[in-house]
Amino acid sequence: MKNIDIFRLSLSHVKKSKMRSWLTIIGIVIGVAAIVAIISIGEGMQASVQANLGSLGADLMTVTPGFSRATGFGGGHSSGGGVSSETLTDKDLNVIKQVSGVLYANGMVSGRSEMIIGTEKTSVSISGVDTSVWRAMVTTDLEAGRLLQPGDSNAVVIGYSLAHDVFLQPVTQNRPVIIGGKTFKIVGIFTESGGFGGTDNAVYMPADSARDVVTENVSRNQFTSITVKIADQSLVDSVKADIEQKLMMSRHVNPRTKDFTVTAFASIQQQISSVTQSISMFLAAIAAVSLLVGAVGIANTMFMSVMERTRQIGLLKALGATDNEVMRLFLMESGLFGVVGGVIGITTGILISVLISSVGLRMIGPGGTMTTVIPPQLIFFALTFSILVGVISGVVPARNAAKMKPVDALRFEQ
Amino acid sequence: MTETIMELQDVRKIYQMGEFEVHALQGVNLNVVPGEFVAITGPSGCGKSTMLNMIGCLDIPTSGKIFLEGSDISEFEDNELARIRGKKIGFVFQTFNLYPTLTALENIKLPMRIHEFPDVEIEEKSKSLLDAVGLSDRGSNFPAQLSGGQQQRVAIARALSTGPSILLADEPTGNLDTKSGRGIMDVFKRLNNEGLTIVMITHDMGIAEYAGRIVKMLDGKIEGGT
Repeated sequence: MKNIDIFRLSLSHVKKSKMRSWLTIIGIVIGVAAIVAIISIGEGMQASVQANLGSLGADLMTVTPGFSRATGFGGGHSSGGGVSSETLTDKDLNVIKQVSGVLYANGMVSGRSEMIIGTEKTSVSISGVDTSVWRAMVTTDLEAGRLLQPGDSNAVVIGYSLAHDVFLQPVTQNRPVIIGGKTFKIVGIFTESGGFGGTDNAVYMPADSARDVVTENVSRNQFTSITVKIADQSLVDSVKADIEQKLMMSRHVNPRTKDFTVTAFASIQQQISSVTQSISMFLAAIAAVSLLVGAVGIANTMFMSVMERTRQIGLLKALGATDNEVMRLFLMESGLFGVVGGVIGITTGILISVLISSVGLRMIGPGGTMTTVIPPQLIFFALTFSILVGVISGVVPARNAAKMKPVDALRFEQ
Repeated sequence: MTETIMELQDVRKIYQMGEFEVHALQGVNLNVVPGEFVAITGPSGCGKSTMLNMIGCLDIPTSGKIFLEGSDISEFEDNELARIRGKKIGFVFQTFNLYPTLTALENIKLPMRIHEFPDVEIEEKSKSLLDAVGLSDRGSNFPAQLSGGQQQRVAIARALSTGPSILLADEPTGNLDTKSGRGIMDVFKRLNNEGLTIVMITHDMGIAEYAGRIVKMLDGKIEGGT
């Protein structure tokens, strides 16, 4: 029997028992739609994380004082069990600048302070920077004004949210503001950077000014962190190792007594992206369970179908159909459930995913929107998977049908 | 010596029912010559259906030989039997056994589709067979939309579609009223007059009278005949 004729015969059954067929198909639709929607949300989440982290710059790393390590029962080294109170100094900055592959090193003074405009005040995050190198390291564009430059003393550049969302009155360029009791002029406003570690809520000012306004006590030649820009992203690991080596030597510490931490943004990106990947794989696995339920539904329908059609199977065999042809008949039928369920499921999944994007559900955290991404291979994978689920669910019932003796099948009474 | 189309030599069939053995056929010998119309009669449980299943290649004997057009089919594998019964044997069942999801015309086409006849032949032959059983206006009806007599006519047309050497009918009028039953027997008689070999099972002697030869069975053996 030709495959096309077997297919037509399968189709005639599916069409004849419409209600049962649709109920079976719905099981697959739910599973496939859930997988497509969840994976597209996961991909979107990953793309959004990558985009937000990308603004941090994959060629940047930071050096911070202290090193976090576990302590033993008998007590440990002085810097053990948390972040130590060590600081970074001019000397450390110079050591880092000497490391080959380092393009710029920016000694930062970070802390919090109070910002007042008119009668409104808010607590803000202050980043004191080295104005001679900062402009080369900034990864966010300006919406208005200019960046800080050498010679600036009472000038600040503020983030997008501070300018637009925090204060009721308009915060514009050249407007005087009071930070930590001192008056500054806003010389620049950043565009929205969104997401993690962004500039949206920060105030940037020269490091010396920052020392005067932050609530934390930072001496003249000290920094709260040093940001390093390297010449080439591919050198991240070697430059990081080099900085660690040189700093240990200059600070007279060894790996056990290390009192600073070097963090490459690229590795943060990697870690966060592996976390988001794990989350989306976990969610997809949950969705796969619903597809498994759909597969059980197909198997159930096929078992029922084989039992109900025992006499028809006997007839087909009496008319000359071979075991293989009977088997193909039932496999095509279960495969058909998979195909139809897969196509409708993928369409539904895409619609859900588009709906989520367009409704723009707010993600946890400020400034982020939930986007979805549907990679073409997901559609291919989902369709192949649903067809496979359909066919595999039908294997046992189809084999039972194929193995029936025609004489017994024809005699079968329900 | 007359050439036989079907020959049964000492055919025995034993069914194992738990600890018991049921001897359904106990050494049956039967010859059917081309163009014959044979009716096999006997009470329920006498083994006539079992014998028809053997002749129709639906089952194999426990011992003995069955020759169909000279080939010993008792030695064939399942798939060989399937091909043989599809091409050389036409079945007409008591319960019609039409495929419920196919129309009358599609039912007639089904055996030809199984045996991969050319499409043009399938179209022409199915229409002419539907016409021959007097149902040319019922081709698009599904079995459930046809009367018992009409369904049995479609079943006959289906049985003839592959041009079988022999037509096997198992109580073909058993589920029909007298008038429809006679109508079916008239079709059989006409087909036999045209040269078709028919072996029919019936317990109704009135129906058996249509056949040229009546074989009587009792307790798994042929007791006699005309």
